[in-house]
Amino acid sequence: MKSNDSNFIQRLKRQKEDALEFIVDTYLPLIKGVAHKVLAPLNNIGVIDECINDVFLSVWNNAEKFNGDSNDFKKWICAIAKFKAIDYLRKASKEMEFASEHMELNAEKSAEDELIMLENRAELIEMINGLEPVERDIFIMKFFLGFKTEDISAKLGLTRASIENRIYRGKKKLSKSLTNINMLGENGT
Amino acid sequence: MTDIYGLLNKSNVDPDEFEEIDATEFEKAKVKNALKQSIGKKKKRTGWKTNVAAASVMLCLSAAALGSAFPTYASGIPVIGDIFKYLDIGNTGMYDNYKEHSSALNLSKESSGVKVTINDVIYDRHTVSMTFTLESDQDLGENPTAQGTPKLEGSEATAALSTISKVGENRYVGLYQATSITGGIGDTVNITWNLGSINPTDEQKEIQGDWEFAFAANATDTHTLVSGQSAEQDGVMVGIEKITITPMSFIVYYTQAVSELLRNQGQGVYIDLQIKDDLGNVYTGQDNGGVGRDSSNISRCKSFGKLDPNASKLIVTPRVLNSFNIGEVAEDEPKDVPLLPKFTKSVDFVLDDIVIELDK
Repeated sequence: MKSNDSNFIQRLKRQKEDALEFIVDTYLPLIKGVAHKVLAPLNNIGVIDECINDVFLSVWNNAEKFNGDSNDFKKWICAIAKFKAIDYLRKASKEMEFASEHMELNAEKSAEDELIMLENRAELIEMINGLEPVERDIFIMKFFLGFKTEDISAKLGLTRASIENRIYRGKKKLSKSLTNINMLGENGT
Repeated sequence: MTDIYGLLNKSNVDPDEFEEIDATEFEKAKVKNALKQSIGKKKKRTGWKTNVAAASVMLCLSAAALGSAFPTYASGIPVIGDIFKYLDIGNTGMYDNYKEHSSALNLSKESSGVKVTINDVIYDRHTVSMTFTLESDQDLGENPTAQGTPKLEGSEATAALSTISKVGENRYVGLYQATSITGGIGDTVNITWNLGSINPTDEQKEIQGDWEFAFAANATDTHTLVSGQSAEQDGVMVGIEKITITPMSFIVYYTQAVSELLRNQGQGVYIDLQIKDDLGNVYTGQDNGGVGRDSSNISRCKSFGKLDPNASKLIVTPRVLNSFNIGEVAEDEPKDVPLLPKFTKSVDFVLDDIVIELDK
């Protein structure tokens, strides 16, 4: 039995390796495109290759979390690629200071941003789950997918001011919850 | 609660915003291999119960394997789905349609720590192409070579081409193409192949072993067009004898003749064919070698990729490559030997195009 366009999602969820091969055959050009676009400033082909492998491995390991058909799958794998690439860029930029076209890294870095860039994002994810749907979308786009504020504004049909306002409020909520968690953590040890 | 992968389900990322970048079969295979290694490592950590279960299955399997005679038929082992395309390193597209028309053999033989599996075979009445996999218990370097040549029953002379490439740790894939340059084989060809020894790339000793295979291959559908057209210029003549069209390729048989005058001047002339069709497709080819009574009159043949079924004409440009070198004429040779000014060192030229009508 081989994977094809209509059964690969099901086979992927059942952890059939041929589904992974099918996905590599079908989506490598797209994932390569995303990784090269985001990570081009690093000028490091090794990082790009590592990122590409990481995308497919994450898809394999998290297949059960995907919902939808093959069109949705393309969007999903593309979003994971963008997320991973931004993540690699962020990690690399921690090591060396450089300006990136894809992220407003240094421009408006605040205490909340620092929290968001925590290595361990479990708490952050939990907070995001507790946000209103629109705020949740904005946060994911802003902090995981590296969208610029104006891009988010165009996608969601909201004004720039409205988005900045929601980010501000969201950050406050997050900051509050994260501080609580951090304090709990400190008390616990 | 859902994690980032769950949250990304309804994200606003639009795949059309990104320009796809073509990936070669080689790149795809590299990613797949890296993934399989990561997955493999993960699976190993799943606990002792699975291991015990796997071990008992292995025991049953090896008992079954011992009971059956070699060579065994292995299945599902090759990591690379399409070795033909994988080994098309320049991505010429010449072998794109080979896999679908080939027959899966999956014949394995293990000797001296190297397991050789012949994966696919395809025969176009002229050339037998075989893909194979080597799995070794030691590293064989980047491009090892195999000694033995496949023998085609009924062929008086065989030209062979082979390539072996590393795909993973101690794992290699290869393509062997054996062409009967004298023809003489029919619908079915019997092939015997004893690899004899494998030579690793690095300074390791060659590995002697017994990897002997015997199998048969049936010819794919072929359709032959007799041409008889030719082109001539400056003492070089090329004649297209016939074209054989198969589902995955076409093969052009041609003769090259060189005038006596030129022959007396120096050594080899080699005529290569460049082919495009009336739709603008350019075909990449593989020279299969040639045979001749003497160096002036040689029958050659060259295989190309799949012919576009909508093409109605083939435009053949014969390119004359020669190794004439005026500088090599010794001083004391008679001065009256006419030297053709066209033939200077490393000069080549093209003959007039030969246009072949493809019947529909």
